[in-house]
Order: sequence, then structure tokens, then C-alpha cells
Amino acid sequence: MTAASAPESLIERLLSGRGIWPAVPAIIVLLFVAVIPFLILLSLGISDVVTVRGAIVSQEFSLRHFSAALADPLYWTTFHRSLTLAVTTTLLCMLLGFPVAYLYLIGGKWWRRIILVLTIAPILTSGIVRTYAWIVILGGRGVVNSTLIQLGLIDQPVRIINTHWAVLIGMVQIHLPIMILPLIAAMSRHDPRLDEASANLGATRLGTLRQVILPLAAPSLGTGAALAFTLSYTTFVVPQLLGGGNYLNAATMVYEQVVYALEWNKGAVTAVILMATCLLGLVVIAGLTNLASAWTRAGR
Amino acid sequence: MTNRWPSRDWLDQLGVGAIVLVAIFTLSLLLFPSLIVVIISFDTRAFLSFPPQGFTLRWYEQVFQHPVLVGAMWTSFKVGVIVTTVCVALGVPTAIACVRGEFRGRAALSIYVLLPHMVPGIVLGIAVLFTGALFGIGPSIWLQSISLSVFVLAVMVRTVMSRLQRLDPALEQAAANLGASPMQSFTTVTLPLLLPAVLAGSVFTFVEGFDNLSVTIFTHGFRDRPLPIELLAIVQQTSSPMVAALSGVQIILALVAMLVLAMTIGLDKVND
Amino acid sequence: MNSASPANRQEPAPASAVVDIRGLVKHYGNQRVLDGCGLTAVEGEILTLLGPSGCGKTTLLRCIAGFIKPDAGSVVVDGRDLGPVPVNRRPVGVVFQSYALFPHLTVARNVSYGLRMRSLPASEISARVESALQSVSLTGLQDRYPSQLSGGQQQRVAIARVVILQPRVLLLDEPFNALDAKLRGAMQVELRQLIKRLGITAIFVTHDQDEAMTLSDRIAVMRAGRIEQIDQPEVVYDRPASMYVADFIGASNVFSGHARHGLLELPDGQSVPTELNGDVKVMVRPHNLALTLKHDGSSSTWIGELRFRRHVGAMVEYEIGLPDGQVVKAIGLHGEHSSAPETGESVSLTIRKPAACMVFATP
Repeated sequence: MTAASAPESLIERLLSGRGIWPAVPAIIVLLFVAVIPFLILLSLGISDVVTVRGAIVSQEFSLRHFSAALADPLYWTTFHRSLTLAVTTTLLCMLLGFPVAYLYLIGGKWWRRIILVLTIAPILTSGIVRTYAWIVILGGRGVVNSTLIQLGLIDQPVRIINTHWAVLIGMVQIHLPIMILPLIAAMSRHDPRLDEASANLGATRLGTLRQVILPLAAPSLGTGAALAFTLSYTTFVVPQLLGGGNYLNAATMVYEQVVYALEWNKGAVTAVILMATCLLGLVVIAGLTNLASAWTRAGR
Repeated sequence: MTNRWPSRDWLDQLGVGAIVLVAIFTLSLLLFPSLIVVIISFDTRAFLSFPPQGFTLRWYEQVFQHPVLVGAMWTSFKVGVIVTTVCVALGVPTAIACVRGEFRGRAALSIYVLLPHMVPGIVLGIAVLFTGALFGIGPSIWLQSISLSVFVLAVMVRTVMSRLQRLDPALEQAAANLGASPMQSFTTVTLPLLLPAVLAGSVFTFVEGFDNLSVTIFTHGFRDRPLPIELLAIVQQTSSPMVAALSGVQIILALVAMLVLAMTIGLDKVND
Repeated sequence: MNSASPANRQEPAPASAVVDIRGLVKHYGNQRVLDGCGLTAVEGEILTLLGPSGCGKTTLLRCIAGFIKPDAGSVVVDGRDLGPVPVNRRPVGVVFQSYALFPHLTVARNVSYGLRMRSLPASEISARVESALQSVSLTGLQDRYPSQLSGGQQQRVAIARVVILQPRVLLLDEPFNALDAKLRGAMQVELRQLIKRLGITAIFVTHDQDEAMTLSDRIAVMRAGRIEQIDQPEVVYDRPASMYVADFIGASNVFSGHARHGLLELPDGQSVPTELNGDVKVMVRPHNLALTLKHDGSSSTWIGELRFRRHVGAMVEYEIGLPDGQVVKAIGLHGEHSSAPETGESVSLTIRKPAACMVFATP
């Protein structure tokens, strides 16, 4: 008997677990709740809509909102402020975060546990809670002021909150965990024998850090920077709560436009610009990361 | 007279020490704000101040008796459950297709599922809001839940994928060889072994459903407002220690969640 | 079944054949992984598929198990074509290279897995688990988890798990790869004894020729998707069907020669009759090459320089460099020479048994 095996029936192929079928529900849902909405958002950025009680009544193509935004100096200052804030936050997070990752590498089991707990726990709490803590600390009768008054260093509470500095401090502390996690992941995959070899070849610990550990951590630094940048560029809570009512950044501006003023045309445009500039920033970060990790492509 | 410079080793130790110091400073920076809030939540005084005086559970009581807050917590809880359910139902099969699948667009599928998470939350929220408006679907707990599900689906998929990739495919083949049908093999071998990862993924999706602000501010229902939105309103108006108590509750919940994570996939594997 | 015949010309299967495979073909893309191969195995026989990686042996095994559907050909077990039979209904038991023990189940639940899939009553299951574990000498470990077992114990659990279902054929995919080299030798002998005790027909897959020689009743040497030779181990060793087989099994030295009028002159001057004519290749096993020191006298004009000498127990392995640059290996007994040969010394070589040389036509 030399019959060739029978072709698989459709049912068999469906159940075999080798096909795309299990993923189809997710694909469809994502299509309707992510892809299409995104396309609609793009289309709204280049059109003129009229809304009545939260429902879109008419829509026609128009670039005037877009050009209005580009000509508006408020837009430029707001986005500029968001961008500088995001870049500063990202850089500070990198400067503060990498030493933690280094400590993770050279520390013992207990240090690793402490670092993991302190890094993961904040991610599991809400942004408001984390920001509120800074209100408590930096507020008029907050920790800093109370301590300074009690120590007799000042008479009146210093205004820390509702300033640019408060926002910066809050942003850095809140986005530290998301920067540190990829770094820790890289460190746990780091081969300690590389450090031993480096030491054996005469390098100091700082030298090993600079020549071996840091370059190898470059890809994960890129990942952390990308995450921190995206989040700090588009964060809403921190500027709103720590910056006071007059502190406008891109996220608060778009919230203002969409939810309060119900100016959906402007909101759509702002959102699209936000998205585009965010992507641009990510491209830059990716490019820099690529430069720093040229060695990973050496073998190709 | 010889020039006595500090030896390289001495400087080296100093350098490393400085880095470790920065690390410890950063860790303290991560720790102390939350610590202070928790301490204040037990303070007897009705305004925020430090150092605390007295100890009371009054604020916690107020939190759990405050009708608006309790309602908001319940809403957020519901959202968390819905988001987790949707993510498990959609994400586990997707992860299986991404890992075990043998079709051409496999890599594209992974990227497709991961994309919504890489977009800023507010952009997704706005997009969903506008789309809903186009079709006459206003913001509601359901719009909030489905948009959040799409937002965090990637986390569930990644967690399950990572576990599945480390699963020996021979296990499922052995089950088949021993007489198990594909469904039996899935329920008796694959699923039990995936369960820890699903649980860990669920922790993240629930937390995100409960805590998320970026997507939620645009998609939440006007009547049943979730906790983060209520909190936002309260914090901007008053400075009652009730908020501190709420923060304390959240922190405790986060620690519990971490315990679950530690027991299911181990804290060190959280990093995908 | 005793002659060294190219196995692709298959004879009708004997009546006691448990496994009868014919003309299996499998493509992956434009690669022919299985190129029309076939074999038969009789009741209680241990057959080994031997070959380098990529020769198709694992693919063949997986076709028998049903994990792979061949493009053409048939797999017949006990007279029944397994083509339309799904994996979970085939009367074959697979022992995987990684053993594939279910990590979330105890030993007892691993072993009873197949019986539970067949919905046997619990009382019967526990009795059969007990006897299955007894047959592999693993009683008392029912409640352990696979992670708590040694490699050898895991292997035996994997065997008990399939054997309890009384399959017609046992398929083992490189079962010793996961074990320490030290354990392997003893475990191979033990495993052969176990299988013989159970009386099951077994097909092994391995790339290790020593393993194949230890385990098998017959060896099937595979090359590029076809079975080059299928014979008892001694036959494959002494009368390889082709240079490929001769080269794969056991070490050998290869020389060029020229056959004329039915006679082939060997490098050491002796002649041996042969059916071939013209340019040929001669393969000589190292233990067939004798080393003689100059002052011990020798009629051979085949001279070389001793490059390397290594003692392995009671044997000595020599490496000799010939004037044309070729390096040959020879094996001798310790102490057979009047004085131990030194490296750099000139030695002469003789073929001990010319008839044991293997002659092949030059391709």
C-alpha cells in the first residue's frame, strides 16, 4: 500500500494550533479598537468636524486647523516645553537609573531583592498616588517646608510646588522605575565572566564599567530611554498636579481641548502632532542606540 | 621627595563608591515619598504635615465609608476584572499563535499586537473617544474597558509568549503520543504550565485597568467614574489625609500584587 | 537479511515483520529530507537508525510516530497502514531526547497519563503503574516530581510511561544525549537488556556509532534521506556496502589503488582478488595494519615515519606519516615489539589480513 497521506481537513488545521486562527479574535478587536480609531484620528486632524452633544454630526476635509496650530505660538511653546521636559527627564533618569542597575549587578541577593521591590512596586500603583506623594512633600505645609521651618532655616513656607522644579522632580522620580527595569533585565543576563576577564587583563572596576558593562548595556539603555521618553512626553498627571493651573504641556493641552473645551478639531490636531513628534523622538533614540550598539551588528 | 598620588586602586574604589552612593540615593528617592505618605495616613491631624502626631485609622475608615470613593473603587475594580478577562481570552490564544504558529505573517502578528502599547495612552484614548463619537458610542465603563484592554493586551501576550517559548514542544508531542487529543493535550499539559504566566499577566492587566489614567481620562463614563479620576478631582481641591489613606491602600495592594508575581513567575522574570 | 545489500531494493517483508516502511519521501522546501527510504523490523528486534545530523533519521522516526506526514510512501505496523491514523491513536511509544516528562505531574501521574487518557478505572491504573515502575526498577518514586530525579531515573520514567501502554513499537530519539558521558556506556547495556526483557520491538535514532554497535540487533546506516545499508553490527563493520558506511563506522584508512585482471595490489605489496577493475579505493581498518620496526626485519617496502603514539589500555594507537604526506592510523598490542617505537622512527607497515580490506569502485 503506497497511498500518500490524506490531506488535512479544514477542522484539523483549525485545531492543530499551527495556524493563525487562535489570534483572529484579537486581530479583529485590535482592528476595531486601535487601528481604525487611529486612522480616524488622523483623518480628523485634517478635517473640520461639528459635534453635537458628544456625537460627530458632520465632517469635511480641511487643513485649516492644522495650519492654525502650526502658526500658533502657543503650540510651539507648549510642545517645546513638553519636549525639553521629556528630554531632561529621560537624561536624568538615565543618570540616576544606571547606577541602580550597576548596584544590581555587583550587589548580592538582598540588594537585588530590594531593588526589584522598589522598582516594581511603583509600577503597580497609580500615577496619581505617586504624584500625590510629591504634593505632600513639596506642598506649602508639606514635609520639606515643615522641616525647614522647624529647623529655623526659614520663616515662611517656600513655594516649591507649582513650579517648574516640582514638575521636574516629580517626573524624574515617577519615571525612574520604567527606566530601571530594562536595565535590570540586561544586568541579569550579563555574563560575570566578562567582568572577570576584564579584571584579569588589568582593568580597574571603573574601567570595566566603562569598557565592558556600559557598552553591553547600550541596547537596554535605549529601551529604557524610549519608554521613559514616551511616558514623560505624554504624561498628564504630573504637570497638572505639580505644575499648577498655568503649567501647560502637550498632554494637558490636549486634555483641555478635548474634554473641557470640546474643541475636537484642535484636539485631533494636537494629538496627531503629539504622536508624530513622539515618534520622531523615538526614531532619534533608536538611532542613537544603534550607534552605541554597533558591535551587535558586527557579525552580520 | 616623591610625588605621592593616590594609587589607581584608591581612586577606583572611590569611583565605584560614588556610583553606589548615587544608586542608594536613587533608591531612597523611590522609597521615601511613598513611605512618608503612608506615615501621614495614620496622622491624627487633618492637614498634611510632617512629622506626624498620633496614630489613627480614622482616614482609612473615612475612605471606605465615603460613598463616592467607594463607588469609584468598585467601578475601577469592575474595569480591572473586565480588562483582565478580555486580555486573557484574547491574549492567551494570540500568544500561542505567535509562538507555535507556522504561518508566514508570524513576526508581523507579534508587532501588530504590541503596537497599541507603544502608542501613548492619551493618543489611544482620544482616538477611541472620537471613533466612538463617530458611531454614536459615548464614553462609558465599556468604552474605557475595551480601550484599556487593547492598550495592555501586549503585556499579557508578551508574558505568556515568553513562558511558552521556554516550554519544551516535546511535552505536547509526548501527550499526543500517549493518546491525548489536541484539546486534552492543551488542557492537561499546556494550560497548567502556562498558568503562572497567565496569573502574572493578569496582575499587570488588572493593575493597569484599575490604575490607568492616560487612556481613562478620555474614555471613562460620566456617571460611574473610576478611582483615578475621582482622585484627580479630590487632589486638586482638598488636601485631606483621606487621599493619603487611599494611597496607603494602593501601596498595600501593590505589595500584595508583587507577592503574587514573586510566587508565580518570580520577580526577576518580570522583565519579559 | 544477512547479506550486505543496498536496502533500497526491498525484498518482501518476512511474516514476522512488525514494522514495514516503504518509499517514504518528505520535502522541506526544495530539500529532499527523506528520499524514498524503507525498512522492516521483526518482532522483538532492536533496530538503530544511524547517521550524521541531517541524514533524515529523526524525520523518519517522526514519520513513524505521526508527528510528520510524509509526502509519499507508507508506514505499516502489524499489517495496518498508519497513514490515516492520527498521532494519538498509533500503537507506537516515543521516548524523546529530552524525555519530555510533564514537570507539573508526579512520576505516578506521568506514568499513568496514557491510561488516564483512555479513561481506565483508577484502581486498575495504580496497579499497572506499580508494575510498570517495577519493570524499570523505579519503585518508591511515585510521588516525586521529574525535577527531583536524576537523568537516568528520568529516562526510565519516560520508558515506563510509554511501555505501560503496551505499544507495538518503541521509538527512542537519541535517548542518551542528555546523560553524562560516563553514565552512557553502562546505561546503554542496561537499556538493551530492559527492552529485551520486555520483548518489545524498538527503533533507536543516534549519531553515535559506538552506541549503535552496543544497542542494536541491526543497524540501518542512513545517508541523505536513504538507507545505505541495513545489517547486523558486525556485518556493517566488516563488510560495509559503500565507502560512506565504511567511513562512518569505525575508523579506517583510505588508499587509492588499481585493480588489474581481477587482482588488486595493496600498498604493502600483497595482492588480493577482486571483482572490480580499474581505479579503486581500498579501506583498511587500523587494527588491520601492523607496525614493524626496522631492526625487527620486515619484507614490506611500505615505509613511514611514526608521528604519534598513544596508549589506550592494553592497546596502542599509532599515527604514521607516509612519504606522500598521508597520515594513517594503526592499532597494535602493548608490548608486541622488541622495543617501544619512538616518534620519528622509521617503521614499516603490513596489512595483517588482506581479505579483510574493503575495496570500492572509485565514484
